[in-house]
Amino acid sequence: MSRDLPVNLEINGAAVALEVPLTETLLATLRERLQLTGAKRGCNQGVCGACTVTLDGVAVRACLSLTLNCEGQKVATIEGVAADPLIEALQQAFVDGGALQCGFCTPGQLIAARALLSQNSDPSVEEVQQGLSGNLCRCTGYRKIIDAVLSAARSMRK
Amino acid sequence: MSVDQGVFRPASVDEAVSVLARLPDARLISGGATLVAMINARLIEPAALVSLAGVDELHGITENPDGGWRIGAMTRHRDVAAERRFTGTLALVQQAASLIANATVRNMGTIGGAIAHADPGLDYPPALVAADAQIEIASGKGRRRLPASEFFVDWYATALQSAELVTAVHLRAASDGVGLYHKLARVSGDYATVSVALTMSSGVAGIATRAAMGACGPTPILLEEANALLSGSPGESELNRAGELLAAAADPVDDVRGSAEYRRLLIPRMLARAFTEARAAIGART
Amino acid sequence: MSAAFESVGRRLPRIDSREKVEGRAQYIADLTRPGMLHAAMLQSPHAHARIRGYDISAALATPGVHAVVTGDDFAGANRMGAFIKDEHALAKGKVRYVGEPVAAVAAQTESIARAATQAIRVDYEELPALLSPDQALASPVHIHEEVGQYFKVFDAGSEGNLCSRTELSEGDAELGFRESDLVFEHHFDTQAQAHVALEPCGALAEVDPQGRITLWSANQSVFRVQACVAEALGLPHSRIRCLTPRIGGAFGNKMEPHVQPIVAALALKAKRPVKMILSREEDFETVRARHPFRIRIKTGVKRDGTFVAREVEVLLDCGAYADDSPGVLGYGLLCARGPYRFPHARCHGKLVYTNKLRFGAFRGFGNPQVSFAGESQIDDIAEALGIDPIELRLKNILRGDDRWFGGQQLFSNGVKECMERSRDASGWDAAAPAPAAPGRRRALGFALCGHISGLLATGAIVRLLEDGTVVLNVGANDIGQGSDTVLSQMCAEALKVPVENVAFVSPDTDGSPFNWGTTASRVTFMTGRAVVSAAAEVEKQVKLHASEIFECAIEDLELVSGGAVAVKGVPEKRISFFEISKRAHWFSGGPIVGSNSWVYDRPTIDPKRAVVIGLPFPKIGAYSFAAVVVDVEVDEVTGQAQVKRAWSACDVGRAINPMLVEGQIEGGFAQGLGYALFEEMVWDGARLANPTLMDYKIPTTLEVPYEMHSIIVESVDKDGPYGAKGVGEVCLSPVPAALGNALRRATGVRIRSLPLTPEKILRGMLERKQ
Ligand SMILES: Cc1cc2nc3c(=O)[nH]c(=O)nc-3n(C[C@H](O)[C@H](O)[C@H](O)COP(=O)(O)OP(=O)(O)OC[C@H]3O[C@@H](n4cnc5c(N)ncnc54)[C@H](O)[C@@H]3O)c2cc1C
Ligand code: FES
Ligand code: FES
Repeated sequence: MSRDLPVNLEINGAAVALEVPLTETLLATLRERLQLTGAKRGCNQGVCGACTVTLDGVAVRACLSLTLNCEGQKVATIEGVAADPLIEALQQAFVDGGALQCGFCTPGQLIAARALLSQNSDPSVEEVQQGLSGNLCRCTGYRKIIDAVLSAARSMRK
Repeated sequence: MSVDQGVFRPASVDEAVSVLARLPDARLISGGATLVAMINARLIEPAALVSLAGVDELHGITENPDGGWRIGAMTRHRDVAAERRFTGTLALVQQAASLIANATVRNMGTIGGAIAHADPGLDYPPALVAADAQIEIASGKGRRRLPASEFFVDWYATALQSAELVTAVHLRAASDGVGLYHKLARVSGDYATVSVALTMSSGVAGIATRAAMGACGPTPILLEEANALLSGSPGESELNRAGELLAAAADPVDDVRGSAEYRRLLIPRMLARAFTEARAAIGART
Repeated sequence: MSAAFESVGRRLPRIDSREKVEGRAQYIADLTRPGMLHAAMLQSPHAHARIRGYDISAALATPGVHAVVTGDDFAGANRMGAFIKDEHALAKGKVRYVGEPVAAVAAQTESIARAATQAIRVDYEELPALLSPDQALASPVHIHEEVGQYFKVFDAGSEGNLCSRTELSEGDAELGFRESDLVFEHHFDTQAQAHVALEPCGALAEVDPQGRITLWSANQSVFRVQACVAEALGLPHSRIRCLTPRIGGAFGNKMEPHVQPIVAALALKAKRPVKMILSREEDFETVRARHPFRIRIKTGVKRDGTFVAREVEVLLDCGAYADDSPGVLGYGLLCARGPYRFPHARCHGKLVYTNKLRFGAFRGFGNPQVSFAGESQIDDIAEALGIDPIELRLKNILRGDDRWFGGQQLFSNGVKECMERSRDASGWDAAAPAPAAPGRRRALGFALCGHISGLLATGAIVRLLEDGTVVLNVGANDIGQGSDTVLSQMCAEALKVPVENVAFVSPDTDGSPFNWGTTASRVTFMTGRAVVSAAAEVEKQVKLHASEIFECAIEDLELVSGGAVAVKGVPEKRISFFEISKRAHWFSGGPIVGSNSWVYDRPTIDPKRAVVIGLPFPKIGAYSFAAVVVDVEVDEVTGQAQVKRAWSACDVGRAINPMLVEGQIEGGFAQGLGYALFEEMVWDGARLANPTLMDYKIPTTLEVPYEMHSIIVESVDKDGPYGAKGVGEVCLSPVPAALGNALRRATGVRIRSLPLTPEKILRGMLERKQ
């Protein structure tokens, strides 16, 4: 088993210095070392999207990112994006539109939707479907998630 | 840090090659999308990783003076998918990139990592073979280039030797014409059950076509004989014959994505559709 | 919605929305306790083998390891099971499927625990692997040698590898077939489907100094967990307290136990809190899945389309343990006649042990399988008779207070309205259906079904706090479907208080009234009724106080909006719950508590009408209905089907929260779509070949049509709270048949095995061409 090695990151705006094994994923670091449990582990293989976070502003799979390989990068999790107006609009739209059930996929959906809307402020249904196709939801059937993203986009354009 | 553990961050290709030469057990990491999934599944447990993130020459897409393109190995699928300059016959490379996984994985995965991994279900290999791309490889001895069709050698195996790495993919200048990539998958974002990559351009001698099938064997299937049948002024019988040849050359597996028989059945069918669509598009253009 | 209601019928956001969008909701994997250890399990490499012995010394000697458990830690008699007690906490004496938990380790970290499991040596003696019901029925080798001695809650008829058998009949099917003009007989097969709740299963146990266990887990019923852990460990229920964190989806997979007994045993042994979270692969390999069914279905009709007789015979793969399987067999047979008038029906079947992971409860509970067969066949009959498939069904559906198979009367019946509304919304009768794209074929397909929402026991306690606000305690887990919100809405309605003034208590076996579980579409109907009755109890007490204060008769008082009692017709003469509760707490009567509990009381079977053998449900009922129309396009080159649009009309009695009802309809449709088109657990010999999300695919945003229209039909059930019935399962069951019927109409191909893969469709199209 590999030894712990040092790494410096910025997580949700705060500088963090850690020592972790080479094979530790960012998801494990966030959840187990830092108790930032908003990102979820649904598969640990990159398929489900429940672990989606942003790395230097880009949405990535935390389960496919090695913490040591994120040296010097900025990580944002659902816990850390609270003040962002886009995430606020998405959260409100998800709540009002019933776009969540069990909620296990929700943090990942929100981060992915934020990434989508920050590149495209007026997406079509098809573009939202494309943008969120990597975030599995077993509960909702997606319809209300798509509607919530469209409605958040509308509210941001106002 | 111990001298042979942790993440190495070479700033140049030469440096990367020398780390690899010194640490034969070190693994390259590009996007990590495949490598980390393998670590998580406990298939590998590397003691050292060599990250290519800091090697500037591996990033980005540049146009050569001859109109060809160099795609750095670290170029993300997202950037290839967004590349609007791949026109004509090269459009298939952009299409293949846009059908890989999903937006988040496309933010991570790189062209170098994908082709080095050489999973037969991947989208790039057939597209690069059909596009007659060249793979640029660096080693302690310098750089070499191989046609994509020679780069993929077997199931998950490439022509890369130890302490070598992929530095770029080179595309020749686009010809006027059509490049198509069609993928059948169980659901969006799955690996291909079968895919077809096809380029078609037209000239005085009629059309020139190159077709490669993906996910139908250890490596993409491209047959010069089939391409010849599909070029010139082919009729239905040439098209059928090309499909039969490709199906006969296929060595598909039975797996959860489909049976070998189904894959064989699809080869001529998907080829015919891609061919017909390309031909119609060319017709529309001329 | 009726204006008479304040809270019922409103599209309120679920009460746990905020915590979920902020990433603060805590699921089992998010919990920690001081000093907590992490656990991992060793899985069986064999499908069927005797365990001769273990060597755990190397594992125990691994630095950081605190405890190891094996089958030796569990007494032989300590078996659990909802219907047949045939299962230990982990393999004991034998392993019965590849992947079965054999031993478990608690250690400082998960990776130490995982490594230590690999140091455990197990001495196996391999036995023949029985991988299909046919093979198992024919084999002299028995997967459970002592099946005869196991405790059973019903007359199972177990023998050899036959786990149970059930038969129901009404009328005389043979006579019915003789009286029919045409008789149709077909075979259908369905596959194993994985639940894939996005949250993998897990549990966390802690033992207090008195030896009492507190257990949190991903579960659908704290009381089922308590009962199963008690059975598996041989402890009284009172030694185990079960709690629930938020649940990351559950579709039957978290109803019966998974790792809870193992984790509890480790915590007892280690004297430290222990948590185990399954990997996705372990979850696939060990939890449970939807049963593969083999179905023979025979239907006799008159030439004018009148249904006369139906016989359905099913063969179920049980997997290695009975789990909820006898219930699935019984329930599947109860649904196999469908929501139709058949003077003669006989439905019977067998459940057979095999060396595969256990199959168990999964949204629909046997109904999706039999509905696939029955509803596909009805379309074939319609085609043979030259009658529109919806017309043929309309001619034969249950009407008014007709009876379900077995004899139970319907108290509400929206079948016809479901059919007509989905038909009309979809443009079924339109002269020109939506055109197909070039190289594609397109058509609509229809299917119908009914499902229960009443069974077993439940309770509710409604308390007024000192300031007159309300605490609702029901012991029912919200597994994501929104029952916390719906039950709060009903409580608020009953007491005329704002929903925000109702606090919902998280289920706790120490403090909550019994609830059998969040399963079988029962919580809204069953627990809702208990909530309304408990609230009525509170209303009575509140009015008693008011009548003393106002010196008037109780009959002259009414609840008024905002949590107060007023004299009828004199709204200014009112007193708030605040004042009443203060009085009750400090002056007279004592704190106000209302409670109610009941067990579903309508017999399934009317012995004057039906004959049954081995049906494990004496009392279930309260039927909901659903009719689904799908618009499917098929690619002629590959055979791949794509669902373009869908309409799902569900009769839910009354929608307490229409937004949440739509959520069930949409989600159930998507899960049914995956089941119908591509989800399939595949075995390579005895080993599951696709226990990952890379290889087992569920629908993404791009497979589920955005145009999925939910149509809520409200038939108002006399038996239900505010007229409500369940919707959780009825929305899924007709989906595979609707898709199969659309494929048939689009391509002429009839596929009688699920999933409806592109390969089967293409082969069908090519065969028809020849
Ligand atoms: C959920 C999911 C779905 C996917 N779906 C698809 C899909 O539909 N179609 C598809 O085509 N792909 C798919 N992929 C694979 C995806 O394209 C990966 O990104 C790709 O296979 C690997 O790229 P990477 O940069 O992440 O490589 P890494 O994971 O970093 O590396 C992969 C392998 O290549 C080696 N390597 C990396 N870079 C180099 C280099 N420059 N030279 C030599 N060796 C190198 C590594 O050591 C490793 O062995 C999917 C992946 C995931 C996680
Ligand atoms: S946990 Fe990372 S994608 Fe599933
Ligand atoms: S809300 Fe449960 S998985 Fe999406």
